[in-house]
Amino acid sequence: MNAPAHTTPDHAAAMAEALPHAMAQAITQACDRIAPTWPLDQFIAVNPYWGWLSSPAPQAAAALGALAGTRLTLSRAAFAGHWAAGRLNVAHLQAAIQRQGSQTTADELIRAMQSPQPAPRALPLLTERLQALAPATPLPWRDIVTHQISQHCAAFFDAGQARWTMDRSPGLLASWQRQLAADRGLPWRRHPRDMAAAIAALPSDPATLISQALDALAVPAAGRAHYLSALLLSINGWAAWCAFERWQARLAGGDDQQIVHLLAIRLAWELLLRDDAASAGTALTGDGWAAQWQHADAEIARQRTEQAVDWLLQDALEIAYQQPLCSSLLAALQQPAPTATRPEVQAVFCIDVRSEVFRRALEAASPGIATRGFAGFFGLPIAYSPAGSALTRPQLPGLLAPAITVSEANTEPGAEKGLGQALADRRQGALAWRQRWADLRAAAASGFSFVETCGLAYGPKLLKDTLPSSAPAARWEDTGLEAGAHTTESAHRPRLPQASTDPVAAARLAAGILNAMGFPPGSGSDFAPLVMLAGHGSQTANNPHAAGLDCGACGGQTGEVNARALADLLNTPAVRTALSAQGMDIPEDTHFLPALHNTTTDEVQLFDTEAVPPTLRTALEALRAALQAAGQRARAERAPSLGLAHLVHDAPALESSLRERANDWAQVRPEWGLADNAAFIVAPRQRTQGLNLAGRSFLHDYDWRRDAGFGVLTLIMTAPMVVTNWINLQYHASALDNRRYGSGNKLLHNVVGGRVGVFEGNGGDLRIGLPLQSLHDGEKLRHTPLRLSVFIEAPRAAIDAIIEQHAVVRDLVGNGWLHLFRLDGDHPAVERRAAQGWEAAAAA
Amino acid sequence: MTPELLPPLPLAQALLLLSPIATLTLAALLAARSAAPAWGLARGASSAALLLSLASALMLLFVPAGQAWGLRIDAIGATVLLLVSFVGWCIVRYSQTYLQAERGEARFVAWLLTTLAAVLVVVTSNHLLLLALAWMATSFALHRLLTFFADRPAAQVAAHKKFVVGRVADVCMLAAAGLLYAAFGTLQIDQLLQAAALAPALPMLAQVATLLVVVAVLLKTAQLPFHGWLIQVMEAPTPVSALLHAGVVNLGGYVLIRLAPLIAELPLAMGLLVAAGTLTAVIAALVMTTRISVKVMLAWSTTAQMGFMVMQCGLGLWEMALLHLVAHSLYKAHCFLAAGGTVRQTQVRQLAPAAVPPSASALLLGALASLVMTGAAMLALQAAGVSSPATPALWVMGGILTLALVPLLQPTGQGATGLLKVAGSAFVLAGIYFGLHAWLASWASPAAQAPGLPGTLLVAVAFAALFLLQSALATQPRGRLAARLYPAFYGGLFLDEKFSRFVFRVWPLRPLSAHPSAAAAAPLSTTQA
Repeated sequence: MNAPAHTTPDHAAAMAEALPHAMAQAITQACDRIAPTWPLDQFIAVNPYWGWLSSPAPQAAAALGALAGTRLTLSRAAFAGHWAAGRLNVAHLQAAIQRQGSQTTADELIRAMQSPQPAPRALPLLTERLQALAPATPLPWRDIVTHQISQHCAAFFDAGQARWTMDRSPGLLASWQRQLAADRGLPWRRHPRDMAAAIAALPSDPATLISQALDALAVPAAGRAHYLSALLLSINGWAAWCAFERWQARLAGGDDQQIVHLLAIRLAWELLLRDDAASAGTALTGDGWAAQWQHADAEIARQRTEQAVDWLLQDALEIAYQQPLCSSLLAALQQPAPTATRPEVQAVFCIDVRSEVFRRALEAASPGIATRGFAGFFGLPIAYSPAGSALTRPQLPGLLAPAITVSEANTEPGAEKGLGQALADRRQGALAWRQRWADLRAAAASGFSFVETCGLAYGPKLLKDTLPSSAPAARWEDTGLEAGAHTTESAHRPRLPQASTDPVAAARLAAGILNAMGFPPGSGSDFAPLVMLAGHGSQTANNPHAAGLDCGACGGQTGEVNARALADLLNTPAVRTALSAQGMDIPEDTHFLPALHNTTTDEVQLFDTEAVPPTLRTALEALRAALQAAGQRARAERAPSLGLAHLVHDAPALESSLRERANDWAQVRPEWGLADNAAFIVAPRQRTQGLNLAGRSFLHDYDWRRDAGFGVLTLIMTAPMVVTNWINLQYHASALDNRRYGSGNKLLHNVVGGRVGVFEGNGGDLRIGLPLQSLHDGEKLRHTPLRLSVFIEAPRAAIDAIIEQHAVVRDLVGNGWLHLFRLDGDHPAVERRAAQGWEAAAAA
Repeated sequence: MTPELLPPLPLAQALLLLSPIATLTLAALLAARSAAPAWGLARGASSAALLLSLASALMLLFVPAGQAWGLRIDAIGATVLLLVSFVGWCIVRYSQTYLQAERGEARFVAWLLTTLAAVLVVVTSNHLLLLALAWMATSFALHRLLTFFADRPAAQVAAHKKFVVGRVADVCMLAAAGLLYAAFGTLQIDQLLQAAALAPALPMLAQVATLLVVVAVLLKTAQLPFHGWLIQVMEAPTPVSALLHAGVVNLGGYVLIRLAPLIAELPLAMGLLVAAGTLTAVIAALVMTTRISVKVMLAWSTTAQMGFMVMQCGLGLWEMALLHLVAHSLYKAHCFLAAGGTVRQTQVRQLAPAAVPPSASALLLGALASLVMTGAAMLALQAAGVSSPATPALWVMGGILTLALVPLLQPTGQGATGLLKVAGSAFVLAGIYFGLHAWLASWASPAAQAPGLPGTLLVAVAFAALFLLQSALATQPRGRLAARLYPAFYGGLFLDEKFSRFVFRVWPLRPLSAHPSAAAAAPLSTTQA
């Protein structure tokens, strides 16, 4: 299609609509391949292969190999390492061969492990050909292009760094054209004036630009979607950011086209470089460059064949993990059911793998405590707005949009004026005061005098930050509040507005949450006198990726707000009355107690304890003691992995060492987060209670006998199972290709746009995913990249029906993005969901 | 005033002065021989160096300044000695945790200690050749830290630029030393300065030497357009950036202060410092406000601050340059080491409603209020007998302070208490400023020379223009002026790109063999097990 070079915006929109269907589809396909990345202050885990979900994993891997040069399986050398260490053996290889129905023999796999592996070869972009034919000094062309686009996007999407900001109103593409035309620093061959003219001649509508450029470069129709994918993957970080903007817009019911702008920009660079090289007599598109894209599918097929061995080895390593776990679970299924007694305390924790270690320790510390696993946002569809502040942030998984805003300003009717009302003005004043000083520090004409009047005060600051500190985690959300106005007190707890305004609606929400937690209507008598709802959060200093260690289910925040808001809801008498009317009779003596598990120090902070009734004081003190003892056990278990093995038997020293670690501004490995996660078990706690799962397993309590209609199971398989897959494959991808899907070395991290992301060093692409230090201890990987093994105790038919009804679940399971097993408690067995149906994985 | 000759130090004091350097050098040698990272040694040595430097500085309260073995200790030297020892101590402790398990950790320790030892020699040197050589050694040792990630092309490019600029500066310094020796027959700095002051007119050779020193300083303090290397060395671990920005790049200012009596003799040198410093300060400060990553913003800020320090030297405000050097070092070291906290700061900022652009009248009102408060503080200190009457240069600095305090003095909407609070703060800050000036002038004023009128005027006009431009951008962030100027300032006026192209044409970097991906992938693929 030949569109005119100059178009008005209106005209351009019409033009975009007039694009041939195939063209529009190629653009959509390329953009949909890119998974979003969240900003650093809400840094939740994302499966970076999410856009490939509808392809079988090996097919996606071959395509990503051909388009980006990445791989989804361990390196052969790494497999050989597992083999040499005895973690992988012939039986595993044979099981993998059998599982895939492959003709390969175990001997061939052993030989493959020992032989060097062909690195996936990506089809070349013009930028790379230019580098080969006419090198740019001193940096390669690819780096120059990435840098220019990346710097532009950073200025465009800046969220708090620059004071003199770029004008966003022309849109991403047009503002880029404007900047590039003014850039006098690029090593063009042509005169800057000619370049500026060439840039100005580019269409201002992204789809039109893409269409024209593809025609100009004579990219064949069959290869267009692939070529566009490869272009976006070459600027993957910012593509992921644009995908995030689109994701947010779609959650809010709208849409966002900036990723198409980015694609147009990257393609425009190819065109400009070709023309610039041509002016110097270098033909970039000669000798069949375009034709390579015609045969992209063949190249992908070739890589898939080549990688078949790698997928067998990957499966084998996963089998090596699954086999002992299946046997242990089978043994647990054969245990007789314990007699049901009312526990003294029920402690509900997030499904997070770090909870497993602590729950085991807590159960060992006190047999009267029963623990449960549930998504750490406790099912609340909320956003949180600290009282008197302008901030409202989501406190729920990134898959969902918040529906209710909780705040300390929402008070009980008739109570004294709440924190928000009383202190909002003063807080605003304090924040404005801070801003003045920030301006004094950062304004161009003020910085010099700031240094001369206040600079010396940074000497004591340096000293203080250099010396160790064991201060507890501080709530930054309290900034601007007067000292003493602690929001940790129950008078200042965050509340749902409905708790006081509409108890019936609030009770409906509460009943749904309790049902999902395993307390269906009529099961009220199952509640213990004290029910602890424990969210979790990490405590780290000076860490751009801090939110990545917090609760992913709470949108990369700590779970404090959710735990407190839910406990408040369930303790509110009016809500209890309404719940009772809906068939949920919570015993009079039951109290819900919010808590926060500090995953860095394994300390548990209890909130709103003033509200605990006097009758439960003794139980509360016993709980405190048990938490203390559990913390000690959990810390001792984690100590060796943190290089603190020498402190395992010295509990006080270990505790203070971890507290100092949490406050250390130079610490790049405060904790291991969710590293080495490998399984998700959806079953009653009794199935896993005796097992040491080594902090590798997500645990969700679920009893299908109490789930009439399997509504809860549907929820688990469509939400928590997706979230655990996102976490699992984030670690997987960051460990296997840290350059593309990880954020590199923390020693070089340079925060971009205040909170948008990081650069590694000076510039380069925006870096997404996990830093090296979150995966690697300097000697070895702390995360073994294994696809998640999901175990669900439920009837076959129920699971099959949910797979049938939900495309996402069907793709996750059917395309090999995770392994699905089911536990059978009636006829003790563990079965695996294969392509052709269920097959025994372990049986009595 | 004529610079005095320093008396020889008693042996004990001379040994004390030598001891921090000896400790760090010895530790560096031992660390270089150690296969395991010698952090214990480094911590011990940096703590010892800090304590010994502190002892040297404290002794000056009781005994006079002096020199021995080409080293010297006096109030100015002791201040910077203490500064570098302290920042070095912080950086060593930080690096131990930060670089844990990093490949090349052992070599990092050795080069870090070497750099610190070399800086301490620069700071205590009383011999110009020793100073020049130690300054070179600092640069060479730092080069090893800047290329710590040797397989990162961007790291190599930035370090190469620094290397070229540094070598030109070295040649200038060595030539200056040679010329000064030819002119005065000595390289002992105290003797040299006295000879220069006593000479009826500065000999031609000495004039050329002085200009060479100034050129070396402009190169080594990253003045425009030689600033690119400073901006781009974010390719090294964060503590290296902290060390560079807090302890190395400002050595140029220290050398100027050290040689102040000589430099003050030559109006051309002073004029050059004022011109280069002022332009760098103003341009770099504006570019800084367009930066989108925290470390690069900090680097532009350093360039601007170095410009300001150099400008103060050119105005003969040596004591303020010293204050600037010390205060900026502490500030910038903290900024870099704490740069990971940027996200948290952004979060805290989100608690407040988005700022609305100030009105022109609010800015004008703020400027008037600031003028009143600054003037009041100045007069109060004079009335109290703390300050002496201001010189023209100090008037200009007072004017810069007045404009600087405007953001603080914006209407609060909080009635009388709010007004009192901001006015009081401005008064206190101005008081600190003039108080520090008066105090420093009493002991850290190595040369008295009234600056030329053109220089003073240039500074006044440049900073007034900076304020006006900043105000225009703040009140009309989407105005035509902002739109017109943005691309150029966003591009740093493209000065570095042009300079780089020139450098790489004249002195190419050997081809980079490593693929950038190799750097990031290596630690995983080679050790995965």
